[in-house]
Amino acid sequence: MGDSGGAWHLSCTVNGEPVEAEVDPRITLLTFLREHLLLTGTKGACLEGECGSCTVIVDGRPINSCLMLAGQAQGCSIQTIEGIGDDKKLHALQKHFIATGAAQCGYCTPGLIMAAKAMLDANPSPTEQEFTTAIEANICRCTGYESIRQAIRDAYREIHG
Amino acid sequence: MFYQPTDMAEALRLRAELGPEVVTVCGGTDVVVAMNHGVARPEAFLDLSRVAGRDSVERVNGIYLLGGGVTFAQMAKLPVRALAEAARSVGGPQIRNVGTIAGNLGTASPAGDGSVALLALDAEVELSHVERGSRWVRLEEFFLDYKRTALQPDELITRVRFPSDFESVWYKIGKRGAVNISIVCCAIGRSPAGAYRIALGSVGPVPMRAMEAEAVLNGDSTDAAHRAVAYLADEVIERAAEAAELEAAPIDDQRSSARYREAMCRVLVRRLLRELRDG
Ligand SMILES: Cc1cc2nc3c(=O)[nH]c(=O)nc-3n(C[C@H](O)[C@H](O)[C@H](O)COP(=O)(O)OP(=O)(O)OC[C@H]3O[C@@H](n4cnc5c(N)ncnc54)[C@H](O)[C@@H]3O)c2cc1C
Repeated sequence: MGDSGGAWHLSCTVNGEPVEAEVDPRITLLTFLREHLLLTGTKGACLEGECGSCTVIVDGRPINSCLMLAGQAQGCSIQTIEGIGDDKKLHALQKHFIATGAAQCGYCTPGLIMAAKAMLDANPSPTEQEFTTAIEANICRCTGYESIRQAIRDAYREIHG
Repeated sequence: MFYQPTDMAEALRLRAELGPEVVTVCGGTDVVVAMNHGVARPEAFLDLSRVAGRDSVERVNGIYLLGGGVTFAQMAKLPVRALAEAARSVGGPQIRNVGTIAGNLGTASPAGDGSVALLALDAEVELSHVERGSRWVRLEEFFLDYKRTALQPDELITRVRFPSDFESVWYKIGKRGAVNISIVCCAIGRSPAGAYRIALGSVGPVPMRAMEAEAVLNGDSTDAAHRAVAYLADEVIERAAEAAELEAAPIDDQRSSARYREAMCRVLVRRLLRELRDG
């Protein structure tokens, strides 16, 4: 990228850690996460909001990181797949995605998990329709969604006892 | 450069000072898609996502007043049927959380679901300039031509207003249940005095009113007797639906043929008028 005529000072919180960076105002949050912070769990695919694989949680709401300018994350709290669990302690969604076979090639999985997590965090008693709506803008080309829906329901049951 | 004003006065001052190469962005769901596709390569942005009061929703003296930054997620919760249903049909949660009404009007797509619903609700949009002040423009005068509007480059869309006492209905034909750009979309509003407004999306260069169809229903709009007689008898509905089919001016594109769109205008107008009549 050429000279943008002015970097933007971005301060935000990513997975609980404060982040300060000088960014080109033309980059998206997706590029910032992947190429600046090297948080490559968040995936880019269609870059037009159709597939949901770039979903992250910004101030509690799921958004497409490919369609948000990095500067628009100023002051925000951002959660990515790296922030919700790890090999030692998986998040309930991660655990159940593995258990039901909801992750096959895995490319859509981080986005699906973040979309589902945003809904589960915000909604203590989702209806069947709300389980579906939460992931209506996330595309999976391997699994056919039934195992994904099952994994989300199982995670919900585990979280809410 | 990236400008991120926190109040509207500052935003308006920046909009008037900065040249048109600095792109106004609110949710970014249209602007950034164009960038990712290489259709637009803006270098600088005026970001309105932090302007205080941008997402306020007020209802005063029978009028709804929405800040330009009100999102589809917010509109989905309003007790205004056509607008709420249109908002719920937009994209998925990720788009509804950030996409705004000002952005929908600013893009001025003929498929803009929020724009079509607002047109049926007799909405006006507030265009503001730091020195010239604000002007309220009716939506039918705001949409000029394909993706062209009455917004001047030194102005911002600040608010939208519409009467709160219309009944309204809405339907969109698309190819799937979510992330579903319309093939044809229709919204119908009815004022407390019984005057109908019919808006169609994706059947012309701009979101359009079906004036001929409205005339079948409204007659001379001051003629209450006409309306009492015309009260949505099946035969009247059929004439209005036919008029809508004839006045729609769609094109063939990758989503549908023009002929199918015309036929669907008739179907949607018929279906929605019956819904208004039968409740
Ligand atoms: C996956 C996907 C699905 C979608 N589905 C739908 C759908 O179902 N129905 C639908 O109608 N749309 C849909 N859209 C389009 C888009 O989300 C809407 O048009 C939305 O309303 C744009 O709002 P925004 O705030 O994101 O706009 P931006 O991208 O921020 O701006 C859009 C335009 O408006 C201008 N603008 C924004 N705010 C102002 C202001 N205050 N003053 C002056 N100009 C302004 C910008 O300069 C730009 O030209 C979809 C988009 C995506 C990516």
